[in-house]
Amino acid sequence: MLCTDKGLRIHKGLLAAVLTALLATLPWRAMAAEPIKIGLITALSGQSALAGEAITRGLQTAIDEINADGGLLDGRELVLVRRDDEANPAKGVVAARELIHKEKVAVLFGGLDTPVSLAIVPLANQARVPFVGPWAAGTPITKNGADPNFVFRVSAMDELVDKAMVAYAQENFGSEKFGLMMINNPWGESNQKGLVVALDEKGMAPVASEKFDGDAIDVVPQLTRLRDAGADTIAMVGNVGPSAQVVKSLRRMGWGVPIVSHWGPAGGRFTELAGPGAEKVHFVQTYSFFGEQSPVGEKLIAALKAKYDDVDGPEDITPAVGVANAYDAMHLTALAIENAGSTDGPAIREGFFAIDSYPGLIKTYETPFSPQQHDALGPDDYVWAQFIDNRIVPVELND
Amino acid sequence: MDTQLISALISGLGMGSMYGLMALGFYITFAVSGTVNFAQGSSMMLGAVLCFTFAQTLDWSLWLAVPAALALCGLYGLLVERLAVRPFVRRGSDAWLMSTVALGIVLDNLVMHTFGKEPRSLPSSLAVSPVEVSGQGLGVYPLQLIIPLVGLALAAALHLVARRTRWGTALLATSQNRDAARLMGIPIGRAVAGAFALSTVLAGVAGMLIAPLANVNADMGTLFGLKAFSVAILGGITSAWGVMIAGLLFGLAESGITVALGSGYTHIITFALVIVALALRPNGLFGRAEVKKV
Amino acid sequence: MRRLSIPAGLAVLAAALVMVFTLNSYYVYVLANVALIAIVGVGLNVLIGLTGQISFGHVGFYAIGAYTVAILTSQAGWSFWPAWLAGALVATLAGLLLALPALRVKGPYLAMITIAFSFIVQHAVIEMEALTGGQNGIMGIAAPTLAANWSIEQTVAVIALLTLAVTLVGYALLARGTWGAAMRAVKDSETAAESVGLGPLVIKTVAFMVSAGLAGLAGGLFAPLSGFVTPDTFSFMQSILFVLVVVVGGAGSVIGPVLGAVILGLLPELLATLEAYRLLFFGGLLLVVLLVAPNGLMGLVASLRRPRSTAGAVPVGAGEALTARARQGLGLDRLTMRFGGVRAVDDLSMSVPPGAVTSLIGPNGAGKTTVLNMVSGFYPPTEGRFALGERTLAAGRAFRIARHGVARTYQTSQLFDTLTVADNVALAACRGKLGGLLGARRFLSRAARDRAAALLAFCGYRGALDTPASQLPHVDRRLVEIARALATDPDALLLDEPAAGLSREDTDRLADLLRAIADAGVAVMVVEHDMDLVMKVSDQVVVLDTGRLLAAGEPETVRADPAVRRAYLGEDLDQARPVAERPARRGSEWLGVNRLVAGYGAEPVLHEVSLKVRQGEMVALLGANGAGKSTLMRALAGLHPVQAGGVHLDGRALEKMPAEAIVRQGLVLVPEGRQVFPELSVQDNIRLGAFLCPGDRETRLEEMFERFPRLRERRHQRAGLLSGGEQQMLAVARGLMSRPRVLLLDEPSLGLAPKIIDELFTALDRLRREDMTIVLVDQMAALALSLADRAYVIEGGRVMAEGTAKEIADSPELADAYLGAG
Repeated sequence: MLCTDKGLRIHKGLLAAVLTALLATLPWRAMAAEPIKIGLITALSGQSALAGEAITRGLQTAIDEINADGGLLDGRELVLVRRDDEANPAKGVVAARELIHKEKVAVLFGGLDTPVSLAIVPLANQARVPFVGPWAAGTPITKNGADPNFVFRVSAMDELVDKAMVAYAQENFGSEKFGLMMINNPWGESNQKGLVVALDEKGMAPVASEKFDGDAIDVVPQLTRLRDAGADTIAMVGNVGPSAQVVKSLRRMGWGVPIVSHWGPAGGRFTELAGPGAEKVHFVQTYSFFGEQSPVGEKLIAALKAKYDDVDGPEDITPAVGVANAYDAMHLTALAIENAGSTDGPAIREGFFAIDSYPGLIKTYETPFSPQQHDALGPDDYVWAQFIDNRIVPVELND
Repeated sequence: MDTQLISALISGLGMGSMYGLMALGFYITFAVSGTVNFAQGSSMMLGAVLCFTFAQTLDWSLWLAVPAALALCGLYGLLVERLAVRPFVRRGSDAWLMSTVALGIVLDNLVMHTFGKEPRSLPSSLAVSPVEVSGQGLGVYPLQLIIPLVGLALAAALHLVARRTRWGTALLATSQNRDAARLMGIPIGRAVAGAFALSTVLAGVAGMLIAPLANVNADMGTLFGLKAFSVAILGGITSAWGVMIAGLLFGLAESGITVALGSGYTHIITFALVIVALALRPNGLFGRAEVKKV
Repeated sequence: MRRLSIPAGLAVLAAALVMVFTLNSYYVYVLANVALIAIVGVGLNVLIGLTGQISFGHVGFYAIGAYTVAILTSQAGWSFWPAWLAGALVATLAGLLLALPALRVKGPYLAMITIAFSFIVQHAVIEMEALTGGQNGIMGIAAPTLAANWSIEQTVAVIALLTLAVTLVGYALLARGTWGAAMRAVKDSETAAESVGLGPLVIKTVAFMVSAGLAGLAGGLFAPLSGFVTPDTFSFMQSILFVLVVVVGGAGSVIGPVLGAVILGLLPELLATLEAYRLLFFGGLLLVVLLVAPNGLMGLVASLRRPRSTAGAVPVGAGEALTARARQGLGLDRLTMRFGGVRAVDDLSMSVPPGAVTSLIGPNGAGKTTVLNMVSGFYPPTEGRFALGERTLAAGRAFRIARHGVARTYQTSQLFDTLTVADNVALAACRGKLGGLLGARRFLSRAARDRAAALLAFCGYRGALDTPASQLPHVDRRLVEIARALATDPDALLLDEPAAGLSREDTDRLADLLRAIADAGVAVMVVEHDMDLVMKVSDQVVVLDTGRLLAAGEPETVRADPAVRRAYLGEDLDQARPVAERPARRGSEWLGVNRLVAGYGAEPVLHEVSLKVRQGEMVALLGANGAGKSTLMRALAGLHPVQAGGVHLDGRALEKMPAEAIVRQGLVLVPEGRQVFPELSVQDNIRLGAFLCPGDRETRLEEMFERFPRLRERRHQRAGLLSGGEQQMLAVARGLMSRPRVLLLDEPSLGLAPKIIDELFTALDRLRREDMTIVLVDQMAALALSLADRAYVIEGGRVMAEGTAKEIADSPELADAYLGAG
């Protein structure tokens, strides 16, 4: 595997990247119909690289579809321009400035790290370039207080996910005593606050709240404190690797407590990483590629299989939320550009508000955006899922 | 004894012996050449990734996969020495510190693009079903018990090899007196290269042992390598047993602090302890102070 | 050069400012970022380039500056300017705090402490959520305004560029001023720095604080530039980047960090279009840059440029170099120094009167240098006290003792190699008082320069004043070191083997100089092996043997003392064991040395030395300490580079071979000072001798135990625990295991008790009878001659006499070489 087909792909990718870099510097690239540049700033290296790849695939597949249909604004092609933010907000803002001021992208997409997106938000608002979030769920990204606000999102929102987690656990497990198990990073920290608020609205408070590190391989101490505090449910927020460590440590403790989780486990091969007990984690999703698919879903899966030779089926489309959100976000953005009739930022912003109905992958969007509503997805769109073997399966299907 | 403490003790010893093994790698190259591979965490990652690739992706038997992975780790060690250490040492430059970091960045990213961006787990039957240790419901994976044993056994084996074999004693001799070693006809250049290969193999072993417990991906070693470096320094980088003991102490301190205060303070307190320890013992806990030569 | 650099710098600054107002926001942001990295780089350069310390923790100071500004402006309502200042101050204080533990340690230990610091800062920021916003940091940081229509990045870019310019000027002033010189002095030699009154700890701490403060200053600008601070921004990788800025640019040069910042700031941007492959290429290119310029770009530029001719001013003996005044003498009262169980110096009382030369002599290992090290404050004595005049000096603080008026020189001259000759002397004249941080009055003023020139002229230095000390020939290093010691205007001057390696003429001039110094009222104390010199200049001679006072008095009295002669020559020459007359060997020449030249630095130690050794012959090389015997042995064995001439063994040329190849040819050195492997067992040490020929190793091991029965008893012991004599036998046994065709023995009897020496020489005698070809260097001339077939007398790196052992034993040259011409 390593030295055959994958190796070949690397070569192709590398060659393509180097060639693009060279081509970008050459003047003769100006064509009759200038392409519309779509920017993406996300982690392309390091621990979050897979998420960046998923967003890329969602966007690129949508772009390919749009270009195949003749592009936008009378035949202008869409071109995706990516930049690596290394999950570091400081790198993210430099990349954002480059894409806005040098590459002059029409629309900017963000990645999975909330702090990076938050750092880019003021830039986008100031430069009047629409900034679309297909992943980062931090509440203040869209609720940023700017007027006019150029930030849109086709993803979950932490505040709402936290409420959904509490509601789901109460409904399905009769949970009364929540123990929080939060990854020690910005995402974990903001969800910790969000969960406290969500519990408070229900007249509850977490019995205990623990942090754990991304590279920890033993979280028994934290879990023991949660158990000693009397927790009957664990609310977990963590990336796939650390989430797997929670399951492994629970197994050692022999503690079969129910777990409701943010979408972290969907970010990789959770069953392989966590071993037995992985299926006990119920986590939120915006879309599942398993089960019966809508025509849009069928089309997307087919396109992904055709384009990426490591995709053989739904289990290879990971993390699913990244691909699904990005795919819908790109199509919605295309509609906004068409509505605007130009690549002018404020016009595109108005174009977002002018979208009336669009049958997307996740759902059929009905006037998804308005000046008061910059999030296209709401709690009704969340899907609860669990891992059965290598498949992310909606919980309802399983019941 | 409290279950919490037993558990902390076991995982502390496990992590600690891995830190110790990697720190031993730092010690070996430092003793022989006065240099280290500052990106040793990447070597550890390489061991885990290669082992995964051979055993899982290519489906080789472990008996083949492990030696093959270690052999490649050794080769990588030779490459580090040749490419990022020797050219600088020869010209009297300290920039090897930076060049090894640069090489580590290259390796991490190469692995990310070839191995993949997804964290993987090396399956091991020793890390699936916990065995109960304290009678109060808390279990540990057999691997967790085996890791410190393997770590210490390896350190002991290394000790024996160093004492009993021709090349082993030659390495020891080089570390104790370079000039005298040359007078014995020991080729210093090859000894240094060998030290780098060995040090990388040790890191690779640590990577493989930890792989079934942790997640295998391109940057799994970064923080681990830094902690191992602090262990090597803490032990006094001039003493082999010193670094191994320091590794165990560091591992125990980490898990102890996590039990007592939660993980938020683990880094703050362990690194503060390192500073305090070095301030009190400037040559490390077990390093020997040299008589000031005037 | 210097005259050009200010207009050039202003032009670059002007161009950068124009760019700020013409380029788009992205480039301005990148430019501002480069300026910020450069500011940190300049600060780190104070640490790395001037002081020779390393820090991987500067991102911590950068973060402290940024967070201070963020917190004060967003939570305490401060305006930017006072907050910025506060940020730099807090970072400076943090630098002081970290310096306390950090500067107690060196090298990798220091690197580790700074790494730990950066992690602590990062995680403390995360945990102090109420203040710092925790993981999600602080957003919306207010920016300063300079002009209403400037954007934030323009404003910060202008401030950053101006700050960088000021910082660079500051660095240039610091580097050329007194403090800069002191910092480089500490980097070159902490020991020598202390002995001219510089406190290394204070100097390093100041460097650390300056460096931390600049990082804080840059961090304080980063906060408004980016508009936010989060812990992730200040990762360990950023610290590595900061160090790279200095390493890539070139440590110690003024604009090096600026070049480094430009490269490391722009490279990621140039590679941005590689998307996911950016880091891969960044790492690869970094490796290439480092390989091309391992000492930085400025280092590369310097190495390409032709070396500056050093035809600067030479000193003229104008003005008074050393004021004649009443000075204090030194009094040593029952000084004792124990290392472990060994009494290196035992109950020594003596006085060093002012205005006179006191010589301290004795065989090697007698404890002479240890006495100097105690009196100059480097070793705290185990017992006893010492005083300058009436004032008892506190032991163990060398720089304080230097400031009180005790100056010294070293066995191997310890000059500040990166400073010029004049700088070395002028810095010492400050006697530890350095003045303002950017000041240079005490160091660069005409008065200071004139005094330095006068001192150098007084000491007989005739070279250029602006030659870097590293390029001086051996003699001049001695003279400059003495001038530097005198620059502190000391009461007492301690000299450790000043004549070692000097020619006869140079030694004569040195003698005159020492007299002149004493005549100026200085209490001069000389440790010396050159007896001619000792006899000529001394008012008083004190003889030490194994740490004890053996004799003291006027030169002639001491010279005539039979105890002294015994201590020096092993036995009285006349009563030596009978020299075994053997028929002169007529065998072919086996080992030949032909006009060999070798040395340290510019001046050779060996001047065209030629030797012939026949098969089965034992040849002794005799001569006083510092004559070049050991250098010859090391050069033969390949441990020391041969500059000219040849060495051949049985017809094969060896002079270009590395040491390990020479051993393979059968030329085996048993080095001076035994050099056993202390942590290995006795038998492992011996086995290592057979590294190249492991066949029948164990049989030969037994042979060695048979030859040295003492070693068999201790075969499992660690070699480091053996007595000196046992170690010597071990070293010989180890050498024999290499199947030598010629065995070189360097000072085998050094520091051994007479009984042990006897045993050792019996073993050597046996080897000789077995027709082993041996070249022996030994202080114990009589003993060596009793065994040898032939001998050479070496003095000043030249062969002065050669002949059969008997001829040499009877010749006057030998006694002269050891005890000086009467």
